[in-house]
Amino acid sequence: MLIKRKSGEATRTRLQAMANGLSSGVLDRRSFLTQSGLALGGVAAIGSIQLGAVRQAQAGPVNRAAPVEIRKNICTHCSVGCSVTAEVQNGVWIGQEPSWDSPINRGTHCAKGASVRELVHGDRRIKYPMKLVNGEWQRLSWETAISEISGKMTEIRDKSGADSVFMLGSAKMSNEGAYLFRKFGAFWGTNSIDHQARICHSTTVAGVANTWGYGAQTNSYNDIRNAKTIIIMGGNPAEAHPVSLQHVLSGKEINRANLFVIDPRFTRTAAHATEFVRIRPGTDIPIIWGMLHHIFANGWEDKDFIAKRVYGMDEVRKEVAKWTPEEVERVTGVPGEQLKRVAQTFATQKPSTLIWCMGATQKTVGTANVRAYCTLLLATGNVGSQGTGANIFRGHCNVQGATDMGLDVTNLPLYYGLVEGAWKHWSRVWEVEYDYLQSRFDEVPAKGGRPARTRKQNMETSGIPSTRWFDAATLPSEDVDQRDNVKAMFIMGHGGNTVTRMPEMSKGIERLELLVVCDPHPTTFAIHGERKNGTYLLPICTQFETSGSRTASNRSIQWGEKVVEPIFESKDDFEVIYRFAQKLGFADKMFKNIKVENNHPVPEDILREINRGGWSTGYTGQSPERLKTHMANQKDFDLVTLRAKDGPAKGDYYGLPWPCWGTPEVKHPGTHILYNTNLNVRDGGGAFRPRFGVEYQGKTLLAEGSYSLGSELTDGYPEFTFGIFKRLGWDADLTESELATINKIGGNNVDAVSWAIDLSGGIQRVCLKHGVSPFGNGKARAIAWNLPDPVPVHREPIYSPRPDLVAKYPTRPDGRELRMPNRGGSVQKAAVDTGVAKKFPIVLTSGRLVEYEGGGEETRSNKWLAELQQDMFVEINTNDAAERGIREGQWVWVKGPESDSKAKVKALVTDRVGRGVAFMPFHFGGWFQGVDQRAKYPKGTDPIVLGEAVNGVTTYGYDPVTGMQETKVTLCQIEAA
Amino acid sequence: MARMKFLCDADRCIECNACVTACKNEHEVPWGINRRRVVTINDGKPGERSVSMACMHCTDAPCQAVCPVDCFLTTADGVVLHSKDLCIGCGYCFYACPFGAPQYPKTGNFGSRGKMDKCTYCAGGPEADNSPEEYAKYGANRLAQGKLPICAEMCSTKALLAGDSEMIATIYKERVLKRGYGSGAWGWKVAYRETIAV
Amino acid sequence: MSKSITASAHEASEDRDVSRRRFFKVLGGASTVALAAPIMSDEAHAGESKDEARKSRYRETDHVKKFYSTNRY
Repeated sequence: MLIKRKSGEATRTRLQAMANGLSSGVLDRRSFLTQSGLALGGVAAIGSIQLGAVRQAQAGPVNRAAPVEIRKNICTHCSVGCSVTAEVQNGVWIGQEPSWDSPINRGTHCAKGASVRELVHGDRRIKYPMKLVNGEWQRLSWETAISEISGKMTEIRDKSGADSVFMLGSAKMSNEGAYLFRKFGAFWGTNSIDHQARICHSTTVAGVANTWGYGAQTNSYNDIRNAKTIIIMGGNPAEAHPVSLQHVLSGKEINRANLFVIDPRFTRTAAHATEFVRIRPGTDIPIIWGMLHHIFANGWEDKDFIAKRVYGMDEVRKEVAKWTPEEVERVTGVPGEQLKRVAQTFATQKPSTLIWCMGATQKTVGTANVRAYCTLLLATGNVGSQGTGANIFRGHCNVQGATDMGLDVTNLPLYYGLVEGAWKHWSRVWEVEYDYLQSRFDEVPAKGGRPARTRKQNMETSGIPSTRWFDAATLPSEDVDQRDNVKAMFIMGHGGNTVTRMPEMSKGIERLELLVVCDPHPTTFAIHGERKNGTYLLPICTQFETSGSRTASNRSIQWGEKVVEPIFESKDDFEVIYRFAQKLGFADKMFKNIKVENNHPVPEDILREINRGGWSTGYTGQSPERLKTHMANQKDFDLVTLRAKDGPAKGDYYGLPWPCWGTPEVKHPGTHILYNTNLNVRDGGGAFRPRFGVEYQGKTLLAEGSYSLGSELTDGYPEFTFGIFKRLGWDADLTESELATINKIGGNNVDAVSWAIDLSGGIQRVCLKHGVSPFGNGKARAIAWNLPDPVPVHREPIYSPRPDLVAKYPTRPDGRELRMPNRGGSVQKAAVDTGVAKKFPIVLTSGRLVEYEGGGEETRSNKWLAELQQDMFVEINTNDAAERGIREGQWVWVKGPESDSKAKVKALVTDRVGRGVAFMPFHFGGWFQGVDQRAKYPKGTDPIVLGEAVNGVTTYGYDPVTGMQETKVTLCQIEAA
Repeated sequence: MARMKFLCDADRCIECNACVTACKNEHEVPWGINRRRVVTINDGKPGERSVSMACMHCTDAPCQAVCPVDCFLTTADGVVLHSKDLCIGCGYCFYACPFGAPQYPKTGNFGSRGKMDKCTYCAGGPEADNSPEEYAKYGANRLAQGKLPICAEMCSTKALLAGDSEMIATIYKERVLKRGYGSGAWGWKVAYRETIAV
Repeated sequence: MSKSITASAHEASEDRDVSRRRFFKVLGGASTVALAAPIMSDEAHAGESKDEARKSRYRETDHVKKFYSTNRY
């Protein structure tokens, strides 16, 4: 038995044999090539197909005269963005060395980063295209696979509409891959194209953007070194972002900073806190309002900052007044004195920063949570300067970039939305007829009491979120607000076990006519449910086998160079997307301005197209050339300011964190800290973005008496348009060619051409000249009138352990969002009425382990990682275990309140979780409801470690703004198995 | 002459296991053998601390003292190496070692032990430096390449220090003075009969 | 807390090149079966005499200096 969390030791288990089969230790470094060949031969024999098409990169002895080449890429396992230095000889990745010069990781890695070399040696990868025929996996060629899949997609399109093909992209794609896939969705004619951000930080993106402009980390990992008070609330970066702790702990030591961890669980991060605050899961808003209660009562708020830069704080005061220390303690379990201490420290020992992750976001109140967090920062004046900010740690290595690139059901690339102006902007960038794009979308008939939608209306309607695809496949057609149900899933790089309610997912997956899984490893999608036909597996290489840029959590963009050629028959995202576009008949239009060499779109050229269209977010200055210069000169960048002190990138911030205004030629340095008025916009300064008009209910939404350093306008101002330029006389600063472009875009309404759609970049260039922020200088909003609960209010989880509180703090009533019904209100009411909390008395929450990532197939297939974490487990409190007669290490059933769900896992008895709370990691899969599914994987591709997915027992619950699922609070019962 | 040591700053270690997988990666250490591992005390409770452990390359190493075939040798750098050609897999060193460093691969169905394996301080063994023989038996010889143990070089929070003992003691002292706390140079008393006074 | 890195990346990678190349140069026809069937004889020490094995390898290279410097504040 091994539960390494406790014992700290790895022991030999049944899995050893399998791992030995994968590699025989010391011979590997030079013999893995031959071994891969052997293993491949074995699999091929089963499929009885010859090996002719398999790349023979491994063949032949090492050329001893050849030198070792150094290639630099970026770790694919989290958003910190650690540089990976690879030693390559004869096309083989033979060693990993520390990347001392990266200002982000300075040579270091976590368990995952230190083992990434295995990813391109992994013989558990999908080796060639396969399809499921009568329950058996059969090998087929790429050509046949693409042809069959495209044919079926077209058939479904003709019969049910473009929206019946659901597209799921990936936060592990490069920016170029994510952008290309979003563009592919647009040319196919659907907005149902999503990725992991939905289940990660979608609520952050929505909530934070609605507060002050952009939904991203405001500062950086490095800048935490400047903080004097740090709160980590709803995050466990010691496991999820280990290298970030290098900066957090350094900051803690250098400044003797206060480090508060607020969490239901005493995490590995909490072990390093100066104070740990244990809360009841799902009570984040009462905690924040409880802190603000003390802050307002004692006058600790930053009155000057609020007056100049915040709208609507008085509305918040009214809500906060209700959260007396007594009520806060009743709801959250946190004593008033403790919270007062935290509040006072945060408000008075500045600069202070607030760090959050999934604990804040993966909730039915996720969007409201993060807005409350932002409000705390605003009230204490902790945004827009060094050591402050919303240090939102994103999850995957490019989840920030893939979000920016618009793998989102509500957006085109770079947050342009789906309105006509957005489509017209991108059709100009793509040089494709707007009418053509419109023609690709479905007409939606009237149904379910809703009016019909024209093609134009449908192209402007948000798609279905990834959390609901299976409901969209199984619910009656009139409940799904599009032409027909979802009939096909086209998935590139997304796990299946990361979405809640897997028993319901089983039904959905069985309903699909077509399931395409493009991934380096077979994800849970490949084996879940009782499918016998119509599943395709396409081998995609990792980011180490291709090149492209990725955006770290702090918005720094780093270029990764190809370390080795794609192994086996795998291909990169670019080529696969191109080949499908070709087969589906729109490659010529889609790749009009992107160079394609030998069926392979050139990533540098894709980035140049992003640069040509990414004005709204400042993705325009980061040319491939500039990014490569940064990677080659990492040593020039300062550890704390991230600014190059010397060398060819002198003056730039590392990775040109967006916004990087204007064309690359303008040489904007990027923006290390968002909304920072202490710097000139030319040096990365800025202000809050007025996105919601210039006034609301008679009060201005523009900043009052606050502006960035050196600004020629010394008060708030709206976003810039050509019309405003004319009034300021700045139109005279535009060049003739810039004017010509603006006139061409504007047509008969040239005054409306804004900084975000001016393809010449002239408006942004002139803004920089005058020291003003192109998007304007506004106030942050403490009240978001366009969202449900304009001022965040506490709402009990759908499955609350405190039914007594549901009456006072109910979830929102049933409604419809993102084409789907949200029945959270009825589900919560039924749970209270039927006494679910009595039968399922333990709160179940979930989270990360350091050894694994996401759905876990890739990391559970890595022998160096798999050895460290061999069993799925549940953390159960000592008292709860004693009451149930459960001993450490024994098998237990964790039972969920829906669908008679259950999971068989090992018990880890610990006080890490409080009484009445249990925790399960979310990286496991391959067991379902107690049954091992190993035999269902294509032979030789099953991950070394399998286990129950926590989502086998998670339950209903969706954020009303983004469709975020509830993974952090549900109920369960645990019993000995 | 510089004396090589390890020092794990327990106030920095977050049990991320980078040291463990970096070691596996560098030396292709097979499944079941862990030259380095991370041990956590007070797991899940206030006072939880983790320490990354491996062979500490002791002064007057107890393994060396008990070895019946005299397969150990201490280099001028203070690194304790052993010869797998001489080792008979008797297991005495395992019982003598205060850190549980020696590991033995299973070679038969009857629990017979293979040659002992342990951390080499990334300094290979008594074979020609960086020869294939050395790599096959002991792994990479980074010290001979002008580098330090990969576990320390890749430590996520820079908790694990390796190198010249005077240098790492200086770094550790600097940290304790700067931050105002330190739980001590873990294992140093046992391994090196000294500690770091701040 | 500025980085006090004295060596250039170029020098460091040169250093790496040499060592890895050397490693593979001698890879040649070497048998790795020795691991499975070790020989108890003087041949085992064919690579190095005892004095050779004991001699110091540590050098304060640029690589090592970078390790030290990134461990300081």
